[in-house]
Amino acid sequence: MTAEGHRRRALWQILLFAAGLLVLTVISAGSVYLVNKARDDNKWVVHTIEAQNQINALLLEVRRAESALRGYLLTLGPEFQTDYEKAVAAIIPALDRVTRLTHDNPAQRENLEKLSATIEIRLGQFAREIAAIRQGQPDMATALAREASAEGATTTIGNVAGAMITEEERLFRVRTANADRSQTLAASLTGIGSGLVVLLALISIWLVRRSARARDEAETRLRDAYANLETVVDERTADLREANNEIQRFAYIVSHDLRSPLVNIMGFTSELEELGGDIFRRIGGLTHVPADRPPLASGEIALEGPDKQLSADFSEALGFIKSSIAKMDRLISAILNLTREGRREFQPEKIDTQELIEAIASTLAHQAAEAQAEIHVAALPNIISDRLALEQIFSNLIDNAIKYLKAGVPGEIRIRGRTKLGYAIFEVSDNGRGIDPKDHQRIFDLFRRAGTQDKPGQGIGLAHVRALVRRLGGTMSVSSELNAGSTFTITLPIAWNASNRNADR
Amino acid sequence: MTQPVTIIMIEDDEGHARLIERNIRRSGVNNEIVSFANGTDAMTHLFGTDGSGLVQKGNALLILLDLNLPDMTGIDILKQIKENKYLKASPVVVLTTTDDSQEIKRCYELGCNVYITKPVNYENFANAIRQLGLFFSVIQVPSAAS
Repeated sequence: MTAEGHRRRALWQILLFAAGLLVLTVISAGSVYLVNKARDDNKWVVHTIEAQNQINALLLEVRRAESALRGYLLTLGPEFQTDYEKAVAAIIPALDRVTRLTHDNPAQRENLEKLSATIEIRLGQFAREIAAIRQGQPDMATALAREASAEGATTTIGNVAGAMITEEERLFRVRTANADRSQTLAASLTGIGSGLVVLLALISIWLVRRSARARDEAETRLRDAYANLETVVDERTADLREANNEIQRFAYIVSHDLRSPLVNIMGFTSELEELGGDIFRRIGGLTHVPADRPPLASGEIALEGPDKQLSADFSEALGFIKSSIAKMDRLISAILNLTREGRREFQPEKIDTQELIEAIASTLAHQAAEAQAEIHVAALPNIISDRLALEQIFSNLIDNAIKYLKAGVPGEIRIRGRTKLGYAIFEVSDNGRGIDPKDHQRIFDLFRRAGTQDKPGQGIGLAHVRALVRRLGGTMSVSSELNAGSTFTITLPIAWNASNRNADR
Repeated sequence: MTQPVTIIMIEDDEGHARLIERNIRRSGVNNEIVSFANGTDAMTHLFGTDGSGLVQKGNALLILLDLNLPDMTGIDILKQIKENKYLKASPVVVLTTTDDSQEIKRCYELGCNVYITKPVNYENFANAIRQLGLFFSVIQVPSAAS
């Protein structure tokens, strides 16, 4: 999975989350609004029904007053009078209630005005009729009633009230429809919103699952790659080990086989030398001695002139050949020894380093005294390592320090040690002639030397030391300036474990 | 020497063979020297075509053996000589360029009688061979039949 894809997926998830949040907010807000609206609508519906009821109640009271009055007029029974009074008393409050409920509607207000006016007229007629009855003039009251009936106030009241009810019915229908719509809207909004949220959640789940799957795959690939890497590393290590062993065997065989022809070259050169001696003796004998006398004893003949020159050239040539062969033999022996060292198995053991180095110093004491050098061994950390290898390392370094002192300056060779992070660090320093920084790498190469070549040596010691240090799992470095002494620093593991290197072999 | 001892020289390098022979002669040893330049010929000579070693029955042999041969290692030859009932009593001198301590130890374990490293320095070489020659002149060699 690329980083680009990763970022895109993360962006998608954030967008989805934001969208989900937005939808939820909209739904909530919409729902609150619509529910409020529905409640409002319902209130108006209830209001309408209430208004209808009140109008009907008013109408009822008017009718009751009318019929009670009629009953009173016919029977003059006091219960009718009470009934009438109760009804009349109820009319005004009922009218007030209707007024309160409907005055917000302009259409109803008009009706209401008409209604209250008519009711007032009717109430006036009632009052006159009852007054006539009380004065004992029922006929007049009857006439008045007839007159009022003719005026049609009651009918008007009924009509107006009917109109008002009709209006309220219309309002009821409208408001019911409104309330229904609000509720439907609220329901739809909730439904759609929930659907959206569910959809977003599904997409989110899908995305999360996809990313989880991608992660699992990546993890598997990573694990595979890791396992593969381990295998590759193991293979390479095995290859390197094999190559290293191959080189060791190669060097051994080559150096070994080079020796064989060298024996011949050296042997026959020596034979030739002897032969040459014989020949020149004979020539000497022939030139110096008259033919009739026996040749002189060997070794007594002195060659002269060109013969002497020939003999000298012959010897010189053979001398070069022999010295070259001797040198080649030394080099081959050195390679052989190095490869042999490389094949030796190390035996780790606990080593009292200070004791070991003091022992080396005492074996080199004679050479040190000759070179007017003093060897100081400080307290050194003990380590677990191969004794022979350590002996070779330090005796080579101390030997070098004694060998390459500055002429005329008493030598001072110090060996110090300390530990750091599981490693022991040893320093062998001297006040000798030093090494030019440009030669610092070269001195560790096989058969390479640096500085004035006034001491015998093959250029093997430091190469050997470094090879040993490496095999012991350590590192080695030099710091030095020309004429300012040298310090060789060797870092070795405090507890060298045979398995980490010997297992290689 | 009380009886005619044959020196068998198994040495692939002609030069070495020549130098060895020369120096042996110089030490005054005049026994017959039979040279072989490879292991197979030497084995045929020593063990016969049937490989039993019966052909050498009754012969007194002294074997000079090089370890590095083109067709086999001297160590194999040494091993077979020392395992053969007719030849095992014959002295074997390993004369080779190898100075590896492991190799030397192995040869002695297998029954080699003398192990000499060929020095490159010719004086040492000549000396070693001459001393070997002197050694040959005094050594008692049993016949292979015993």
